[in-house]
Amino acid sequence: MSTPTTTASSATGAPRRGVLRRLLVHPLGGVSMIVLAVIVVVGVIAPWIAPHDPTETSLSMIFAEPGGEYLLGGDSAGRDIWSRLLIATAFSLAGGLLVMAVASLVGVTAGLIAGYYGGFVDAVGAWFTALTMSLPSIIVLIAARAVIGPSMWWTMAIFGIFISPVYYRVVYNSVRAVRGELYVDAARTSGLGDGRIIGRHVLLAVRAPVILLMSGVIAAGIGMQAGFDFLGLGDPTIPTWGQMLNEGFYNITRSATLVLWPALALGLTTVALTLLGTALRDELEGTSERRRSRKAPAWSLDEDVPAVVDHGGEDASEPLLAVRDLAVAYQAGDGYATVVKGGRLTVRRGETHGLIGESGSGKTQTAFSVLGLLPKGGKVMAGSIVFDGQELTGLSDAQMNRLRGTRIAYVPQEPMSNLDPSFTVGHQLTEPLVKAAGLSRKEAKERALALLARVGIPDPERAFGSYPHQLSGGMAQRVLIAGAVASHPDLLIADEPTTALDVTVQAEVLDLLRDLQEELGMAILIVTHNFGVVADICDRVSVMQKGVMVETGATADVFDDPRHPYTRALFEAIPKGAPRAPLAGVTSAGLLGTGALK
Amino acid sequence: MLSFVGKRLATGVGLIVTLAVLTFFFLQLGNSDTAQRIAGQQAGPEAVAVVEERLGLDRPAIVQFLDWAGSALTGDLGRSWFSGQEVTEAVTTRMSVTVTLAVGSVLLTAVIGITLGALAATRRGWLDRAVQILAVIGQAIPGFLLAMALVLVFAIELDWFPATGYTRFSESPSEWLLSIALPVIALTLGSIGGVAQQVRGAMIDAFERDYVRTLRSRGLPRRSVVYQHVLRNAAGPALTVLGLQFVILLGGAVIVEQLFSIPGLGPLALSSTSQGDIPVVMGIVVVTGVIVVVVNTLVDVIQAWVNPKVRVS
Amino acid sequence: MLRTTRLAALAGAAAITLTACSSTGADDSPSAGASGDSAGAVVEGGDLRYGSVVDISTWIAADAAWGNEATYYMAVYDSLLRTSATNEIEPGLAEAWEYNDDLTELTLDIRDGVTFTDGTALDAQVVVDNLNRFREGASPDRGLLDAVADVTAADEDTVVITLSAPDPALEINLSLQAGLIASPSTFDAEDAQTTPVGTGPYVLDTAASTIGATYVFTPNEDYWAPEDQHFDSLTINYYADASALLNALRDNQVDVANLNSVTQIPDAESAGYTINSEPVNWKGIILADRWGMNNEALGDVRVRQAINYALDREGLLQGLEAGYGEVTTQIFNTEGDAFDAALDDAYPYDPEKAKALLAEAGYADGVTIVMPQTGFVPASEYELIAGVLAESNIFIEYEQAGESFFGDLLGGTWSAFNFGLNQEPLAWQTYNQAIAPGAAWNVFHQADETVEGLAARIRLGGEDGAAAAQELNAYMVEEAWFAPFYRVLGVIVTADGFAVTNKSGQAVANLWDITPA
Repeated sequence: MSTPTTTASSATGAPRRGVLRRLLVHPLGGVSMIVLAVIVVVGVIAPWIAPHDPTETSLSMIFAEPGGEYLLGGDSAGRDIWSRLLIATAFSLAGGLLVMAVASLVGVTAGLIAGYYGGFVDAVGAWFTALTMSLPSIIVLIAARAVIGPSMWWTMAIFGIFISPVYYRVVYNSVRAVRGELYVDAARTSGLGDGRIIGRHVLLAVRAPVILLMSGVIAAGIGMQAGFDFLGLGDPTIPTWGQMLNEGFYNITRSATLVLWPALALGLTTVALTLLGTALRDELEGTSERRRSRKAPAWSLDEDVPAVVDHGGEDASEPLLAVRDLAVAYQAGDGYATVVKGGRLTVRRGETHGLIGESGSGKTQTAFSVLGLLPKGGKVMAGSIVFDGQELTGLSDAQMNRLRGTRIAYVPQEPMSNLDPSFTVGHQLTEPLVKAAGLSRKEAKERALALLARVGIPDPERAFGSYPHQLSGGMAQRVLIAGAVASHPDLLIADEPTTALDVTVQAEVLDLLRDLQEELGMAILIVTHNFGVVADICDRVSVMQKGVMVETGATADVFDDPRHPYTRALFEAIPKGAPRAPLAGVTSAGLLGTGALK
Repeated sequence: MLSFVGKRLATGVGLIVTLAVLTFFFLQLGNSDTAQRIAGQQAGPEAVAVVEERLGLDRPAIVQFLDWAGSALTGDLGRSWFSGQEVTEAVTTRMSVTVTLAVGSVLLTAVIGITLGALAATRRGWLDRAVQILAVIGQAIPGFLLAMALVLVFAIELDWFPATGYTRFSESPSEWLLSIALPVIALTLGSIGGVAQQVRGAMIDAFERDYVRTLRSRGLPRRSVVYQHVLRNAAGPALTVLGLQFVILLGGAVIVEQLFSIPGLGPLALSSTSQGDIPVVMGIVVVTGVIVVVVNTLVDVIQAWVNPKVRVS
Repeated sequence: MLRTTRLAALAGAAAITLTACSSTGADDSPSAGASGDSAGAVVEGGDLRYGSVVDISTWIAADAAWGNEATYYMAVYDSLLRTSATNEIEPGLAEAWEYNDDLTELTLDIRDGVTFTDGTALDAQVVVDNLNRFREGASPDRGLLDAVADVTAADEDTVVITLSAPDPALEINLSLQAGLIASPSTFDAEDAQTTPVGTGPYVLDTAASTIGATYVFTPNEDYWAPEDQHFDSLTINYYADASALLNALRDNQVDVANLNSVTQIPDAESAGYTINSEPVNWKGIILADRWGMNNEALGDVRVRQAINYALDREGLLQGLEAGYGEVTTQIFNTEGDAFDAALDDAYPYDPEKAKALLAEAGYADGVTIVMPQTGFVPASEYELIAGVLAESNIFIEYEQAGESFFGDLLGGTWSAFNFGLNQEPLAWQTYNQAIAPGAAWNVFHQADETVEGLAARIRLGGEDGAAAAQELNAYMVEEAWFAPFYRVLGVIVTADGFAVTNKSGQAVANLWDITPA
């Protein structure tokens, strides 16, 4: 028996415009919608197009051959299989719809009330949900049948109530989430009544998940009805697919086609419903893969990239990292969103290079390109990245793995989310040393402990055995730095390494980075939106705006004489006399990072 | 940890009590002529009265319930009104068969579902789509249809497996395996899809986690990150789904057992509910409830044990 | 497919009052397809896997039903007397029996040296106790011993049964569940319902059995009639689902089985089984309201005859039973005294005549009859019957029956209903089943002087009794108390290496008539 899954709980937000249209062009969605449309139309007009009464029996038509008076032949009682199939379609669909209607009515109403008001309804809802999950529904239906007799409508309605928690949970969670959000509070203070709030804001929020569950619940209802009828528990006077199957399997040696038609109808309907559910989820949650599954559209840079304002002053030595004309794009809809257009960057050995710009300017994307770890869907479309004389674009993952960790390292922005919560700090530090750098376990542990001590962790042994949630943010960031420098890389890419930390800790971490750089002689590419950080530790700085490198030069030169209007605007935005605090809600990936593309 | 388990179990006990009360009084509604049916349709009023008195059916429902509950607390679930079998015995022997099927298919589902889900999440492309479509079809097609198709093909045409019946493990392990193979496969086919989808989703979710990028930035090959870190973190959601599947499979077993003529809870549930054999129905409901509560608690405990945030604090 | 389970249960329920055997006259009709002489050059031993379409409801002999359940009882119990496949009375636990002259006292000589499987010895007192328990027990067929006034043990091995009036069926009844003898140790045992102790050929292995599914039996080592104990082990599998039984047959998982329905015959044949069949029931409409109490039209014999003329019996036989059966218009057993081959087509299919009779009775526009419909029987069956009758302006309105179907049926809720009843071997039994004022299936309990006069003669047996039986049959057909369609075959299928001799008028064979072949 299929049961609707509850993945939809992660869906939030109202359906976007044109879902129906996009569904139609979705490869699975389109086909299943057409199939379902045909089935629904057949079901609706069945009473008018059925050539015979589906219960009309005829001694002369028993197991009649297809063709002739009966299009698909006669069944074991001489009834017209075609007419029965048509009417059964109507009843089976009606059964499924009844389940959906009851389940959504009960589940959504209870979910809204419980989610919005909490209290008694909430407690009862949770209790009922737990109850339905501790007893298989079929047992309840059989018991109900013993009490109220073989009524298809009652059976389906009770099944609807029984699976209403599917809706309840989703709606409840959505409402809880919305409830806490500011706009509801704002709506309330502006004098809207509860009814209006529920109607306007909350219903909007639960619309998508409720729609998502629809097809799955209908499919479950139809499946349950068929199974129930197949076992002979249904109402014998109502022709359904399950009853036709029951009869068909019983007479399969006498006429194999008896099974064929209802099995086909039932299978086709439930598969189409389930596929439609999948397609709906794809479209509503934006997880559709069809664009990439087809041939990728052509990418082209549709605008000229302005020249970089270069302050010069670079020494003539071979650069450690040279990024030229880098373009990074994400496939979006029928085209691309190009997030980096003119990535241009030169980092020399031992140098600390700041990459600055506001969120969404493409600085993190540039850094990820160098690591070869662009988020899902991102791709380097043009340009070159040369590291120590080696071209990185076009390298395979295995080839990049030989550089990552050993020669290029990475310190992320958010310390907590960058440690795997399920493994100890020690494990996460030693694993790369063993697997990538080829140390023995013992050596790796010694190295890790030494590093932990080096980055200023008071009790390395204890930290080594700890899980990430047991560490403070500052500690975690030190652990990450330790992990990054463990194999003495030539280039350390630090993506907003201090943004997520307390102000007092920020300075300590920057000091640590500077000390390590001196000690190890590595180059640091530090991605930041904070001029304070740049001023503090950077030798050179590059400024990015909207995916384009606009200005680059020695830190002192750029600070003294910002030439590009954007750079000047950035400087003007710094509040005078106060250390610049991190912007609230800015994420390293910016608007086009992982969060937006998921 | 102990108080956590205790709390879960206490909630479970509450649930089972609710379940018992609801079932009992619900069944009362529809079984006014139970005594007549036990005595036989041709029995006169005196014979019916004798049956009523013997079974205590002449007492108020609440008294009957309290009487039942009192015995149930001591582990005595009474005897079937119709077959006279001890309910405890009937339910436990049959439950062991059903649980065998359910556990077998949960295990099979776990192995295949997680493998397919993991492959779909890591390989993507055609494999992903193939898995998705297979999953959807397996999920969409009712279990009884699959079961009948399996019987026709693998038992009757090919004769690889017995078409009906159940051989006890103690009689012959190999025949036992053959006898549960088709029912377990029929049950499993329906649930692989859901689990594979969930695992795929959980893994794709885990893939996009920051720590995956950080680990990869240290030169760890993709494969090793996937198999250690991504899988481990996707295990939680997968386990929850498997716990849910277990309950669904218990329900699916009712139908499949009937079709395969397997002496599990299914046929007993069907016959006892339609007869109005209240002691047996109550036994089934309570024991099913207990098993589900135990499984759910177990899932929660494993969940907690796997998650260091709960374990180490 | 629960419906088929319930259908089987229904067949069993119908069989109860109704099952029986012994035909005093005709005897030598070998059952169709059976392998003839079963004893003889047969290799004994081996295992028997028997497929049953009903579960056993209780193992307590005093509460036993019969019909399809008989196989279970015959495995562990013996009855006082036996009836052969051709319904001749044979010795059982009573080696000899004798009536007194006025047929009111039956003296039984109990076999010596028989012990129950728990070691208890069989004696006259045990038999007396068993008979008394049956008379007071909960068997749906308690009425089998209604004529018994008293039972006494004359000595260690002699039992005397005193009757209040002669009962031609008593010997047969003592070969059914009324004559089953259980060990006294089970009388008050708490597990008596699930653990039988008898003297029979096999012993139930409760540890290896699963109640409601599989019953495993081992041979009784000390069985008094080892020549009737053909197998080294016996397993009875109960198939609650008709499709499951079909699948078991298709996969050759059973050696011998009785079928839910004749429509399974092609499946069983294609799976390599031998078909053994014998008429067991008659199926048709019981026109219960012959006095027109609820439905005035039915009180007119012309309307009842019109219904009989309106039935396309051949068509119904083809449509409902795939042609397996024999059309008939009489309800008496083919081998009994009452049978008259001419009465098999007393009402040939003739819609015009039916309409004419209706018009004559003042129903030119037709009559409407309300009949019950249940989930036990496929809906199509009801529709087919209604369809046939409608051609003669006899309109059937079906009413959905509830859970209390049987009670309502027997309580006279419906004036007429589709049903099937066992073909009892003795005319007396059929009379008591469906004709007598007190008969269960004379649901309005109407008495008719002619019938009562004939019944008094039948009770006393002999040639006059046989003649009276013939008259009763003719009277029933003429008065159209029933509208039978056809006699339904009871089908037992046997795999290679097994043989069975069907028993006339009984759904299952005698267990000792199932043999290795």
